[in-house]
Amino acid sequence: MPDAPKQISLTIDGKPVTVSDGTTVLQACEKADSPVPFYCYHPGLSIAGNCRICLVEIQGAPKLQIACYTLATNGMVVFTTSDPTLKGRKDVLEFLLINHPLDCPVCDQAGECWLQDYYMRHGLYDPKFNEAKTKKPKAVPLGPTVMLDAERCILCSRCVRFTDEITKTGEFGIFNRGDHSVIGLHPGKTLENNYSGNVVDICPVGALTDRDFRFKCRVWYLGATDSVCTGCSRGCNTVIHNNRERDWRPHIADGGRVMRLKPRFNADVNKWWMCDEGRYGYKFIDENRLAAVQVRESGAQRAATWEEGLGRVANALAALRQAKQLDRAGVILSSHLTNEDLFAAQTFFKKLGLTNVVFQRPKPGKSDQLLLQADKSPNARGAQALGIAEGAQALLARAAKKELKLLWVFTQDLTQVFDAALVRQAAAGVELFIFQGTNANPTADMAHVVLPSTVCAEKEGTLTNFQGRVQRIQAAVLPAGDSRADIAICQLIGELLQVELPFADAASTFAQLAAGVPAFTGMTYANLGQSGALLRNGTSH
Amino acid sequence: MSGPVPAVTKPVPAQNKAQLDVFRAEADAIVAKYEEKRAAMLPVLRLVQEKLGFVSPEAEEWVGSLLGIAPSHVHEVVTFYTLYNQQPVGKHHIQVCQNIACALTGCESMIAAISKKLGIKPGETTPDGRFTLSTVECLCACEVGPVMQVNDKYVGPITLETVEQLAKAPELLPEMDTPFREAVHLVEPVLSRRFTMRDSEIIETYVRDDGYQAARKATTEMTPQQVIDEVTKSNLRGLGGAGFPTGKKWSFIPKDSAKPKYVVVNADEGEPGTLKDRYVISKDPHRLIEGMMIAAYAIGAHKAYIYIRGEYARPAQILQQAVQDAYKYGFLGKSAFNSGFALDIVVHRGAGAYICGEESALLESLEGKKGFPRLRPPFPAISGLFASPTLINNVETLACVPTIIARGGEWFAKLGSDKAGGTRLYSISGHVVKPGLYEASQSIKLRELIEAAGGPREGRKIKAVVPGGISAKILKADELDVVMDFDSLRNAGTMAGSAGVIVMDDTTCMVQALWYASKFFAHESCGQCSPCREGTGWIFKIVDRIIKGQGKQQDLDVLLGIATNMEGRTICVFADAAAWPVQSYITKFRDEFEYHIRTKRCDLLQRMKNLNNRMSTLKPQTEPTNA
Repeated sequence: MPDAPKQISLTIDGKPVTVSDGTTVLQACEKADSPVPFYCYHPGLSIAGNCRICLVEIQGAPKLQIACYTLATNGMVVFTTSDPTLKGRKDVLEFLLINHPLDCPVCDQAGECWLQDYYMRHGLYDPKFNEAKTKKPKAVPLGPTVMLDAERCILCSRCVRFTDEITKTGEFGIFNRGDHSVIGLHPGKTLENNYSGNVVDICPVGALTDRDFRFKCRVWYLGATDSVCTGCSRGCNTVIHNNRERDWRPHIADGGRVMRLKPRFNADVNKWWMCDEGRYGYKFIDENRLAAVQVRESGAQRAATWEEGLGRVANALAALRQAKQLDRAGVILSSHLTNEDLFAAQTFFKKLGLTNVVFQRPKPGKSDQLLLQADKSPNARGAQALGIAEGAQALLARAAKKELKLLWVFTQDLTQVFDAALVRQAAAGVELFIFQGTNANPTADMAHVVLPSTVCAEKEGTLTNFQGRVQRIQAAVLPAGDSRADIAICQLIGELLQVELPFADAASTFAQLAAGVPAFTGMTYANLGQSGALLRNGTSH
Repeated sequence: MSGPVPAVTKPVPAQNKAQLDVFRAEADAIVAKYEEKRAAMLPVLRLVQEKLGFVSPEAEEWVGSLLGIAPSHVHEVVTFYTLYNQQPVGKHHIQVCQNIACALTGCESMIAAISKKLGIKPGETTPDGRFTLSTVECLCACEVGPVMQVNDKYVGPITLETVEQLAKAPELLPEMDTPFREAVHLVEPVLSRRFTMRDSEIIETYVRDDGYQAARKATTEMTPQQVIDEVTKSNLRGLGGAGFPTGKKWSFIPKDSAKPKYVVVNADEGEPGTLKDRYVISKDPHRLIEGMMIAAYAIGAHKAYIYIRGEYARPAQILQQAVQDAYKYGFLGKSAFNSGFALDIVVHRGAGAYICGEESALLESLEGKKGFPRLRPPFPAISGLFASPTLINNVETLACVPTIIARGGEWFAKLGSDKAGGTRLYSISGHVVKPGLYEASQSIKLRELIEAAGGPREGRKIKAVVPGGISAKILKADELDVVMDFDSLRNAGTMAGSAGVIVMDDTTCMVQALWYASKFFAHESCGQCSPCREGTGWIFKIVDRIIKGQGKQQDLDVLLGIATNMEGRTICVFADAAAWPVQSYITKFRDEFEYHIRTKRCDLLQRMKNLNNRMSTLKPQTEPTNA
């Protein structure tokens, strides 16, 4: 074990605080609950020290010092609310604002703008600037995702450091000098790396805005729910921003519910970042959803009630059970389902006596060194931990050869994973082909019964990322249309088949899972907290 | 151009890879001189411009791939430095200095004359592509003001005859001739001893005059510590402007270092009113090289860089020749004097940015980046060039070193004042009869220096003097008895700085003087820290408005407030330097500013009309509109 770092003590606004050696004054101030404002500082990037808003008074120093770069020392006395500190802050803010356009009413950053926030908190000066403002390019698309307004930029260089240090793609630069300095890309280039959206997150002002989100919804109409990205097996921690004024403002984004995803810090998973594939991959939550039960009648699907749909499934299963032919039924679960969904299904089928139960991963995709994983399933690791067999190939082949009478597919469009002809043959080879899922797709089109289920943004649960980290998701919006949670669907069919299931909701399901599956022993929603916990055989990586 | 050049908006002709690949081998040879490829950025861009006339986005990509740098960062460099053209310029690029010293000697009327003669305004090119006219900040040839560069050539003082010749045959214009003026009250000059000799810049004469004997003595008879002790005894202080004790600076370099150590010479002379380093480099370059050898020996460095401002083409050429000759004579390269001490020197040219005279900005620039001053610590002595221990000294400082070793530190110390050993080179410009370079003891008084320079012009009285380059706070006529050493000037509320003395007589409008000073700082702010980036531009806009007759009385207090709010709030002291003229001009000449605002005109204007061109002084940019 390396020695623990040396501890040093200092006084901040009269409060004693102890930090380890190497801590900056800014970090110590946060620890002492005397936070100082900052723009250019970002904990995930190198220190630039250029915005100067974090200036603080330090006893004995001849002038104000920037808290972001100054190291805390033993016995240091810092004042974050003294007159010199407050004046320094106010002065710097005035400098930052003299050439800043007064376009807050039409700026998409309004409401989450650090210039606005700090002006209200630390500024409130009488403006003295009475000159013509410097003109710079406005509304410049930098690429498919990001829009630049150079006049709003405060030249903190966060985006430059992000593309230099994190993605190492180096798109951004600050050109010219003095008050003509302007942020931009090399002439003719576009910003198209898979992490471009992060520069919008870290831009403290309205200079870089999200082309997908801008002008869609004012940020003060947004609800925020902690969640996890389901785009790949990384499980980046996110916040789902939804339009919580939808009932009163149905015109916003054509009535869409989820407006955007933002990354949420998790030191062990995604730090502060998320990829564009995940960030902009939220559209399936509102688009192309399966909203009602469908049953096939004389070759075509038609809408039906849950009673009818569930009845067909239950009747078929009951018949097979009676004929002791449950071995001629197959279930293909999905690595998109939560641990709770999988556990409930696994328990149900086990009690029913149906043993041909596997899970299937989606087709592998692109990966990179930063976050993106080739395995696009948010919970394959969870399915493995539950001991569910993997791979649907054999079951599909048996169905195609008419060896199965019933095939029940969860969530995934199998035509994306397997040859579409095989899936068609499998669907045609069974007497009842059930698709239980969230979005319309060719596999769902083949089904005799379609049971609409909820997406991750609509339910509680946990997902286990590729590292074995079990992380919570929470419902940000209500179920779309007539869709129901997978656990609830299980429970209902169980009732119809007199299979007694104890799953009231996700929380109770998880409690039983934790009690029954060794890898999850000791976990509760409470102790998973904000950042999750590793499976007992998980790796921290 | 006055004011930073905006980003390229006009379509520029394309430069293709084949055109660039033609000189790929030359570029590779430049890259090979540096420890890190990126450090070749400035010289490779210069090469592109020499070959193709300007640097296009395609060329930036080519350079980027050569150096392993994203093209955006090459574009940052091209747009940061003023010497890179982003569009083709005329065959003869005329760059007229429009800084304060040249303004005192009439640059505005010469700019107007050139404009009229060629039919183009600053920023424009003649339709035949023969001439481009630009105005630039201080070229550091204030003694021949008004001065201009015609391509690389310095021409001055500009007269109406010069303008005629410029239009006819610019290639026949002679390069400026700048003889050294005088060693004032010195029995034995130190730095200027050889300045007036014939062929003083060539190695043969230097060696004949006992050149390189001090380096021999240091490397063969002294330990590095003995050398440092001698320099410490000499009381030599940094003559770039900061006045930091040189011996102490040398002793900060770690004795043991896993990384190589470097000596970097700051020859980025740029402080308006300063021209001394150009004389050392042009007239006695081997003295500098010898000083570098001694410094490198003292700290254990085997590689040294001379960062010389980009505009100094002829001095760089002389220096390059001197370095080559020093190799030829065996002083550089492997084992000088069979001592086992080896030193390599690379002459590295800047590209037009005042801030690169700030030592950490200079290192950034040398590493191929924009000249952004670095956060400290670490200091260069610990982590400087290529993150290695680095000694940075000014040209003049190092030029003192051979004499210190030859004559002893104590002898050198006695030449100066109590706390600053030796003599100094004083650049004197503006309203004096004999502007130019003077050597004097640091115990000399400002008044004596001005008298040595012939005093004010006939019939005129001195109104104000800037004692140490444009950043220094101004002194009034009754403050001239101050001693010109670091501590005395600091006690007088100003600073010795670069010892660039700018004299203003009673024809000078202080509002316009501040206009030039604030234009300079707005143009040269690197733009890194918000108070300086925004504050320098804001100050200039207000002063410009006052000049145009649209000032308000409250503007003066706003200006003082901006200056105070910038001061001490940034990474480097540029913001402080930009604040000092504002504070001192307005405080000491407030009546004049108030008059200007109240009457919307300058009271000097009427008097000025009677003066001829050569005598004329600061001319306003725009005639007052509401006079």
